[in-house]
Formats: sequence, C-alpha cells, structure tokens
Amino acid sequence: MTGRIRRIVASFLILCLGAMSAPVPALAGIVGTDAVVAGVERERLAALLDRSDVQTRLQGLGVDPALARARVAALTDEEAAQLAAQIDALPAGGVDALGVALIVFLVLLFTDIMGYTKIFPFTRSMR
Amino acid sequence: MGRRATPAAAGVFILAAVLLAGCAAPQVSALVARPPADLPAAAEIASVPFFPQEDYQCGPASLAAVLQHAGGDATPASLVPQVYVPARKGSLQAEMLAATRRHGLVAYQLAPRLEALLREIAGGTPVLVLQNLALDWAPQWHYAVAIGYDLPQRSLVLRSGVTRRLAMSLDTFEHTWARSGHWAMLALPPERLPQTAAELPYLAAVAALERVAPAAARRGYEAALGRWPDSLTAEIGLGNASYALRDLAGAAAAYLRATLRHPGSADAWNNLAQTLIELGSRDAALAAARRAVALGGPRLRTYRETLEHILQQP
Repeated sequence: MTGRIRRIVASFLILCLGAMSAPVPALAGIVGTDAVVAGVERERLAALLDRSDVQTRLQGLGVDPALARARVAALTDEEAAQLAAQIDALPAGGVDALGVALIVFLVLLFTDIMGYTKIFPFTRSMR
Repeated sequence: MGRRATPAAAGVFILAAVLLAGCAAPQVSALVARPPADLPAAAEIASVPFFPQEDYQCGPASLAAVLQHAGGDATPASLVPQVYVPARKGSLQAEMLAATRRHGLVAYQLAPRLEALLREIAGGTPVLVLQNLALDWAPQWHYAVAIGYDLPQRSLVLRSGVTRRLAMSLDTFEHTWARSGHWAMLALPPERLPQTAAELPYLAAVAALERVAPAAARRGYEAALGRWPDSLTAEIGLGNASYALRDLAGAAAAYLRATLRHPGSADAWNNLAQTLIELGSRDAALAAARRAVALGGPRLRTYRETLEHILQQP
C-alpha cells in the first residue's frame, strides 16, 4: 500500500518537472557534465530525486541492503527517477519458458512457427 | 491492463495480426531490399565468450559476455549481486547500464534501428539486446548477446540462454526485439567509440560514467574530442573529469580551450573561474566569473555564487 502511494507521489513529482519554473539551487562551483548535456531539467530532477527511496524499493524486492546502496549510486538521475516511479512495471529480463501456462503455450507454438515469436527451442520458423 | 486480457481474445487478436502482417519484419525487409553499400553482407564475432544461463539469470550471463569482450573483469556470479532483482526474477535495463559503468566501461544505448545493431557487429562489438520472446500481454523478457548476422540468409546469431550459437531468423528477432522498444546496449572501453555513436547520446553515456569512474570518463571525452573536435560538451566534460581527479591544471586547460572555441558558453567560463581560484589565480578567476555572470542563462545562480566566492578570497 505504501509502495503504491510512493509510486503515485513519484509519478506526480515527475509530471511536475515540466511545469516548474522556480529555479532550484545547484551545487556552487563546477557545473557538472550531466547538467551541460541535459540542460536545466536535469538539475530540477536531481533536486527532487530521493535516491534512498530507490534503495528501499530494491531492498523490498530482495536485494541485500549493502548491495542496494552501491547499485543506486551507479544510476544516473534519470535512471533512478525511472526506477523510483515504475520499478514494478519495468521489464526485468530473466525468461523461464517453463513458467508459461498451457493456453499461452498453444498460442505461442503457433506464433513461433509463424516466426512471430521465439519462445521454444524446438520450433523452426517457416521463414 | 493489457496483461489481464483473456487469453482466448488475445489469441484471436494475435492470429488476426499475424495473418494480416505475415512474418516479414519491416526493418529487415527494408535492409534486405536496399542493403547499405558499406555494410558487410555477413559478420560474426566468434571471440565473444559464452556463459550458459542459470535460472532467470540471462542478465548477468549476457552482461558478463559483453563486459569480458570489452576487457572488463566480470563473471555471471560477480554480476548477480549488481543486477539481479530476486523478487522480479530478472534484471532491469537501467541496472545493466549502471553495472557496465561500474566496470569502467561506457554503456551506450543504441539507436533503435536494426542497421545500427548490424553495423556494430560488423565493427567487432557484440550487442546486448532485450527481447520479449513471447507477446505483449504475456511478456517473457530475455537478454541475449547478438554476435553475428547474415543478411542474404536473413539470420542473426546470438549467445542466448543455454545455447552458445543460436541462429535465429532475422525477422523473428526483429519481432521479439521490437517488443522491448528495440532496446540494445554496448559495453566499450572509453577510448573506443561505437561505430554508430551520435554526439550527444555518447557524451551523455560518458557523463554517466563520470559519476563512478572519472579516470575512464576522461579517456572517453578525449576520444569524443577526436571524433567531434568542436564539441563543447566533450571539452567541458574533459575539464570536469580532470577536476574530479584533482588535476586542476588539466581541468583549467580544457575549460580554457572551451572558452576559446565557444566564448558564449557561460558554463565553461564558470568552471574555468572556479578552477583558477583553486589554482590561486584570483585576477584571472575574477575575470572569468564576471564573464559567466554577464552571459547568464539558466544556471546564472551558480555563476553568481562562484563570483561571490572569488570576491571573498584575499
């Protein structure tokens, strides 16, 4: 439940980015390369982003807390914001063909043979 | 919501879609009909290592293959703690990119075009791809490494799952790849640019590397300046990476070159000012900071802070 609320809040904040006009303080001194690449939006994003939130969500998905911290540190602001907003919906590559249910099996068998999918190692597409 | 559609309805829909569309894929058909003259008809990088995937771990296995090929020190076992998400039984795209950077390599996301993928293979770089092997409403996300192709045969060769050399119809591949939004990435040592590198996306990839590995990023900016000598972003990046490494003289030289080539860049003047004051050149720093403030722009507040900081120095 709290995860859902957090997701909604995060999505809302991202939507707000485009509408915000108040300047957000950047670090004094050096202008970072990521800011030069991405322009103004990047600084607003960095100011709103709470990386500890991403870390908490990774831990909630079974990642060891000590590892989660280092993993989040290697993300860019955009990547971290994306994970904060939709970590449950983003693709997670790790296929297990045995988990596909029977009805899916039949449809996929057909589409495999047609060359539209490639889920089973034993099919050869018609093309 | 799409995932909850009843299988029967979805089956009928897919059947209709397949019958209407046939199985030739659009990008493949265009490439085969008009192959670019400078693209070899076939290529394969046999030296790409192979790690047979264990349960759900095509992410670490595929990533280890491309990282090792790029000279990185990684194995599937060493990558599981960096990319695998147990409750999702898989690995997220953002973390595949991030783990690449943790090995001091540039993680470059390719343009979503089959031609770009083939060009990289022809240039000797294996391409890590995300496929949805099944269908949009019942996705089976899978990472694999594209290592070869044969255009006349319409086939693609992959290191995939437990198969060392999987030859797949190029059309089938395009269908499975399109369902991931044509997602593909390269892992490259920073001194080697992708064949299909575009200036801003490449510099964004190096800037992301700068966060975790400034020394590697510095080499990336140098390589970028070799290809795009007029790139302001690359010059500032070179300065920033040098600054992060506390090579202030190198940083000042890069910012100075940036201001000479791009006198309208307030960012370059600001960073030059900050570096000069740390080097003890107050007068030059003051002049540069005033230039940044006079030019203004969205980061004017930062430039003002730099100027005030310099004015406070004796």
